[in-house]
Amino acid sequence: MAEQPRFPLREPVDFVIIGSGSAGGILARELSVAGFTVVVLEQGRYRRTHEFTHDELAIAFHDEYLGGQRGGDPQSFRHDAGEAAAVPEIPPAYYARMVGGSSVHFSANFWRLRPVDFKERSLLGGIENADLADWPLDYEELEPYYTRVDWEIGVSGAPGPFDPPRSRPYPLPPMPNKSSGVLLEKGARELGLHPQVAPVAILSQPFNNRASCVHCGFCMGFGCEMGAKSSTLVTMIPQAEATGRCEIRPQSTVHRIETDARGRASEVLYYDAGGQEQAQRAKAVIVAANGAETPRLLLMSASGRFPDGLANGSGLVGRNLMFNAHSSTYAWFEQPLNDYKSVQCSRIVHDFYESDPKRGFYGGGAIDARPFLSASPMLYALTGLPPDTPRWGAGFKRDLAYGFTRSMMLAASTTSLAMDRNNITLDPELKDRYGRPAMRVTYNDHPHDLAMATFLQDWAERIVAAAGAEKIWRKPVGPETIGAHLLGTCRMGDDPARAVVDRYHRSHEIPNLFICDGSSMVTSGRGQPTMTIMALAFRAAEHIGEFARRGEI
Amino acid sequence: MASGPRQRQAGAMSRRAFLQASGGAAGGAWLALQAPAVLAAAQAAVAARAAGQPFRHLGAAEARGLEAVTARIIPSDETPGAREMEVVYFIDQAVGGFMAAEADTLRQGMASLDALAVETGGRPFADLPPGAQDALLPQVEDTSFFSVLHFLTVAGAFALPTYGGNRDHLGWQLIGFEHRHAWAPPFGHYDAEAMGQELPASGHGKSHDHG
Repeated sequence: MAEQPRFPLREPVDFVIIGSGSAGGILARELSVAGFTVVVLEQGRYRRTHEFTHDELAIAFHDEYLGGQRGGDPQSFRHDAGEAAAVPEIPPAYYARMVGGSSVHFSANFWRLRPVDFKERSLLGGIENADLADWPLDYEELEPYYTRVDWEIGVSGAPGPFDPPRSRPYPLPPMPNKSSGVLLEKGARELGLHPQVAPVAILSQPFNNRASCVHCGFCMGFGCEMGAKSSTLVTMIPQAEATGRCEIRPQSTVHRIETDARGRASEVLYYDAGGQEQAQRAKAVIVAANGAETPRLLLMSASGRFPDGLANGSGLVGRNLMFNAHSSTYAWFEQPLNDYKSVQCSRIVHDFYESDPKRGFYGGGAIDARPFLSASPMLYALTGLPPDTPRWGAGFKRDLAYGFTRSMMLAASTTSLAMDRNNITLDPELKDRYGRPAMRVTYNDHPHDLAMATFLQDWAERIVAAAGAEKIWRKPVGPETIGAHLLGTCRMGDDPARAVVDRYHRSHEIPNLFICDGSSMVTSGRGQPTMTIMALAFRAAEHIGEFARRGEI
Repeated sequence: MASGPRQRQAGAMSRRAFLQASGGAAGGAWLALQAPAVLAAAQAAVAARAAGQPFRHLGAAEARGLEAVTARIIPSDETPGAREMEVVYFIDQAVGGFMAAEADTLRQGMASLDALAVETGGRPFADLPPGAQDALLPQVEDTSFFSVLHFLTVAGAFALPTYGGNRDHLGWQLIGFEHRHAWAPPFGHYDAEAMGQELPASGHGKSHDHG
């Protein structure tokens, strides 16, 4: 590998990229391979795969693993603007703070959007209290980039009956089916549904000099010590560094993007690992800090010239936050499933993807089979038992002993409608350890999304019953209080009054400021946004590189 | 730097309350534990036992009482319970570490429970027969004392054994969790069946009468 360059702070590099996750990692690789100089500012540490363990406690012991209070960066939360925001212990905007970002700790469910996701406003019309809008691009335009994601980072899967067209097959065969997948198939088929292979960004076979998955089961929330999970940490970032033109600067917490007299982004101010303030000059800046931290940074960068924050002429920076709604249905079966082994999901049901007016509400979603939190012992013991299990005593012990190997969960995930009331703002009082205004998350699902989550829970219950479950229980459906999908807060669109970035991720107000991550998404899809974020990043990099070559930045 | 009082308003209990109520499947809540501090406590527990100091923070009588309660939460019967898993060593360190803020809750709660035991049974809780202990616990089940102790019992039973609890993997053996680095299919009964195979015997196939 080429030695990492150390770019001087005062000399403008071609690009500063803020964030090294699903989008930032890809942008860094694409632009450095294309010949540009790139500095990536990442607030978290640079963890290597050999540092990842199976330790439920040790993982959480790392104080930088998550954003939020534990890392000195509290977030406040409220369901509605009329409430006082409180600081929950679990950060409501839930993401991994490390090189590779949340692509390191995610479960790696990897779905494409479908054509309908890009144009539901045109197809369905408006929805009360929601700001449903069409994307400025369609599935056809994004398809080549989904295919690039498949082949560049490594995805295992097989086509399903409802999949959108693809220009190349999956690069890797599906992961082995688990007992939970077998049971999902059994129940769903009996009900006339069409279960299909769950595509995952985890290697079923060796690929691009990376080892394949060994089915250890520590995917969700953990880093993969095999490097078999296709995070940008093990795929894109090593390739970016190999160019000799990309410097990854970990533990660099950005607090401001400065603009010059012409109103162009000129330098990025950050605190380094020692807490010292630094400023990196750049010809162009790309914000890829995730759908919560990106709007926070743009709002924090307000100035006399941009009093409402950068790129915020539309007033939409931070607005229209979408988490995806969820519901959970648990079941016990007579024989052991051992669902704690291997990937979270091996089969999914996509029969309810499209919105159907006959249901009486907008929305679509999917059902998958997985252990969820019961993939590891402590979380299982705290969250995975039925509501009628005694809290202590012989009955508690009996159910503890019985349920771990025999349980599975059907997770339903749905659309989230874009709503102005759901947003990221700066907390007026709370500060982080650097004195930056804390993030305030305001979120309350649209009634249609909760109705969809309940609709899918009803189906999930039927599916596990048809599969022969001996016991079934549901968790109540309600408004989300934590979002691991952080979407929509700097939406893409042609009209500067109705969108933050244009179709090429260039901000409408500042020509050398680009924004690309979950915040760009106009609609939420049906639950697994990471692949779309990565496809958008490949596409954005191509256009941004072209603008730079043509002198249009 | 500036943080404000609101940072403290969500106590240790709210996280567990959230876990109980949560229907979220976003993968977010997996980390919803006191885990960092639990880890520190567990490591200290190993050190304490190695040094031949069984209890560093609890008095002997307190430790006996608390252990007796953990033994009713996960009782010993034909299989080992919290007592054999040595959950109490974990708690001893927690009281001096991450649960220090709630140490008084534990101490006062245990003292109240002992007082109740003396009042109704003439002896401290640990000296009552199991049936009499079980009859008393419903009276404290809704207290923060019991919630804290319940959480510590579960943490001590299922944390990595290298950290002090879960002695000899007894917690994991109870639930059928095998901590291996790698697995190969079939993983469970139903995928084995679909492959036309038998699930290997290690797959926790024994049936329990769970009523």
